[in-house]
Amino acid sequence: MTSTQTPAPATTSRRTKGGAPRPGSTGGIADVARRWGHRLADRRFLPVAGTLLTLVLILVIGQARYSTDTRSFVNMRLFSNLLVDNSYLLVLAVGMTFVILTGGIDLSVGAVVALVGLVVAKLLILGVPLPLVLLAGVLVGTVFGLLIGVLVQYFSIQPFIASLAAMFLARGLCNVVSVESLAIEDKGFTDLASWRLKFGHGPSIWYINLSMIVALVVVLVAVYLLHYTRFGRTVYGLGAGDGGQAVGLMGLRAARTKVWVYVISGTCAGIAGILFAFYTRSGFNLTGIGMELDAIASVVIGGAMLTGGSGFVLGSVAGVLVYGLIQVLIAREGLDSWWTKVFIGAVLLLFVLLQRALSTGQKRRRKKNKEESPAPPPAAAPAVS
Amino acid sequence: MSTTSTTASEPVVRMTGITIEFPGVKALDGVDLTLRPGEVHALMGENGAGKSTLIKALTGVYRIDAGTIAVAGTARRFDGPADAQEAGVSTVYQEVNLAPNLSVAENIMLGHEVRLGPFVNWPATRRAARTHLARLGLDLDPMSMLGTHSIAIQQLCAIARAMVVDAKVLILDEPTSSLDKAEVAQLFDVMRQLRADGVAILFVSHFLDQVYEITDRLTVLRNGRLVGEYLTAELPRLELVSKMVGRASEDLADIEKAARRTTTHDLTGREPVLRALGLGRDGTVEPFDLDLYEGEIVGVAGLLGSGRTEVARLLYGADRADSGTLTVRGAGVRAASPLGSLQRGVALASEDRKKEGIIGDLTVRENIALAMQAERGAWRKVPAKELDATVARYIEALAIHPANPDALIKNLSGGNQQKVLLARWLATAPQLLLLDEPTRGIDVGAKAEIQRLVAELASEGMSVVFISSELEEVLRLSHRVVVMRDRQKIGELTNGPDVTASTVLETIAASGSAS
Repeated sequence: MTSTQTPAPATTSRRTKGGAPRPGSTGGIADVARRWGHRLADRRFLPVAGTLLTLVLILVIGQARYSTDTRSFVNMRLFSNLLVDNSYLLVLAVGMTFVILTGGIDLSVGAVVALVGLVVAKLLILGVPLPLVLLAGVLVGTVFGLLIGVLVQYFSIQPFIASLAAMFLARGLCNVVSVESLAIEDKGFTDLASWRLKFGHGPSIWYINLSMIVALVVVLVAVYLLHYTRFGRTVYGLGAGDGGQAVGLMGLRAARTKVWVYVISGTCAGIAGILFAFYTRSGFNLTGIGMELDAIASVVIGGAMLTGGSGFVLGSVAGVLVYGLIQVLIAREGLDSWWTKVFIGAVLLLFVLLQRALSTGQKRRRKKNKEESPAPPPAAAPAVS
Repeated sequence: MSTTSTTASEPVVRMTGITIEFPGVKALDGVDLTLRPGEVHALMGENGAGKSTLIKALTGVYRIDAGTIAVAGTARRFDGPADAQEAGVSTVYQEVNLAPNLSVAENIMLGHEVRLGPFVNWPATRRAARTHLARLGLDLDPMSMLGTHSIAIQQLCAIARAMVVDAKVLILDEPTSSLDKAEVAQLFDVMRQLRADGVAILFVSHFLDQVYEITDRLTVLRNGRLVGEYLTAELPRLELVSKMVGRASEDLADIEKAARRTTTHDLTGREPVLRALGLGRDGTVEPFDLDLYEGEIVGVAGLLGSGRTEVARLLYGADRADSGTLTVRGAGVRAASPLGSLQRGVALASEDRKKEGIIGDLTVRENIALAMQAERGAWRKVPAKELDATVARYIEALAIHPANPDALIKNLSGGNQQKVLLARWLATAPQLLLLDEPTRGIDVGAKAEIQRLVAELASEGMSVVFISSELEEVLRLSHRVVVMRDRQKIGELTNGPDVTASTVLETIAASGSAS
């Protein structure tokens, strides 16, 4: 029961704002609380709060249905398994978050994951040293990202089209590398893939493996980039809805930033490709079909707006966890795995509608604020026939 | 007050003989502009006078073909906005060019944020933002999202951002065009504050009241040429307007008398075709009343930006009214919409024919057919025969040249495009036709033809709202003239021999509103 109280602050701080003095007065606990209340009730945080709520809801359902006397459903093992099974998706979602924040999209990542897996497998079979192979794998992704970024920024091609072209290119190149599944038997590689730290014992044993560590490092780097650098703020500014005009006029490097987000997404796809190879210990030209859409779905469930400018990396992390937990629940229910898609579809729809409601609610509120200054509308006279 | 100190001080910007040519057009021809520290300077002129070109010359967006720009005594040639900003010339554009999804602090400080090693030091950056806001007398939460604030506050944040680089010259391009009265007052307080700090402010606005309220000096441009520089307090409004329009007010009266079309008009006991009561929209037009009768031409006069177009858009339903009621032939209209208006027999030929009117890659026939088709709905095609007959009729009636229904409309001259646009709306047989600047940018012959046509249509019983920036035209055609200023209807004149262009100009210039 670790994460159940996460979204609580949003509601508690909001309560304290009542009766706060004029905004002009500084200091004062009530004033500070009011400001924080406003911030947390901010449109930006609400979708993420929704995601966390969903996460908690799923955990509560799981806990209620699948806990036995000897074992609780929510335990470290559950989270450990979630991360092991979804680390590649987590990395993809982080990269996709950058792109979606600028209002773009990257459809190539699934195909790049497959290509990277094949390149890694092939190079290992050819006897190339492991460090070089891993570097080459990541660079394949970087190059694809750079290609898309340049197409989008300097040739003014729609991100959808540019990344679609990259997707076909990557998928086609998979077949050039090999049309058959290549198993990875390199000793160094399999050692890395199976390395893990053990915690606990008996039925509650859980692990930390390399994929989890890599994914968490990627998440931390992304948080740093997005929230503590000028680059990150420019990424958000690019999604402000005017084609990056505003950030350009503010003297920020709009063009370069736009290329970089695709490079980041591509690099993440490269890393994810290696993590996926760790997971499957093979390369195959048909892996990762639709994986880009899983990543996009996770980002949207995590509260990012597809129009750009709004969303958080940590939201995307929560989105991936929701995605993974739905899979776990479906498996536990003994339903066929395609039900996962049905549920993901329903959750996605719910979140898109939530965003819609939030953005229109915001507009209406602003308008109301404006109208409050003139005389209030005549009080409705009830039942005067 | 501040003028006494400014006359003595050295000008911070001196632009002399600025000439900028675009292919085929001299956008600016030998214009001078001098800005002094601690002064608010208005740049006045009608649209197309060259105001924005001059601003873009000063901010380095356009290269100048001739002339010199000196900032703080040294000659400069700017290669772009960043260059100009470095020299201390900051601009706040008409549209707020900030990112609404970032916080106030980020919008003000990005590019100048305080750093701590590889990290942005957010607490320090926010403190700096708060200081810059405080300088403008603003107490905002720097962490709040910019988009949650009103446009006015966003505008002030843009000014705060402009002042982060310690600007000596601040250019405000139409900053008040989307602000309400209280917000304008707040902006003016900030401007006075900056003026007291010795900043030179270049203020561009269509609103005469605001110009007289805030500025110390003004420069008037007309058709890319300098008319002159004046002290605001010494130039009466009427004179300013005639300098902008380009004719002495007496001249205007003469032309108008010669062309007067005398009309007798009896409205008593008749039902209006359209009646607007207290119709208005926040930030575009203050509520106004208007009755339109059958066979009547009502002119709308006023300077550009006075709300003329907005009145037409409200009547047509292109913009939704916030207040008031609209009645068409006695029946109340809820939530007017373009399609609904079309079906009620109300048509609007819009001002900007390139953007909102013609569709360049379609033929004359197809352009004319658009509104007819829209009225019928997408599934009931206009029969080819009926369409051909209609198109042929209007090509002949309006003397559209070339008389080829299959010509692409983008290849026609402006006047002929305008006629096609007119034909489009006439083909729907409207009972009320709203014409927004139907004669702008077309040659004299075509202009006269369109005027004649409008008069004819009215005599056949159509009511027409005729909007034009040419006063003579409005007075020649109209039975009544609605006068607009600062987005308000400030008067309604029944046209007659004693109503002249100067009457209208006086109404516009009158300081007290005529409500």
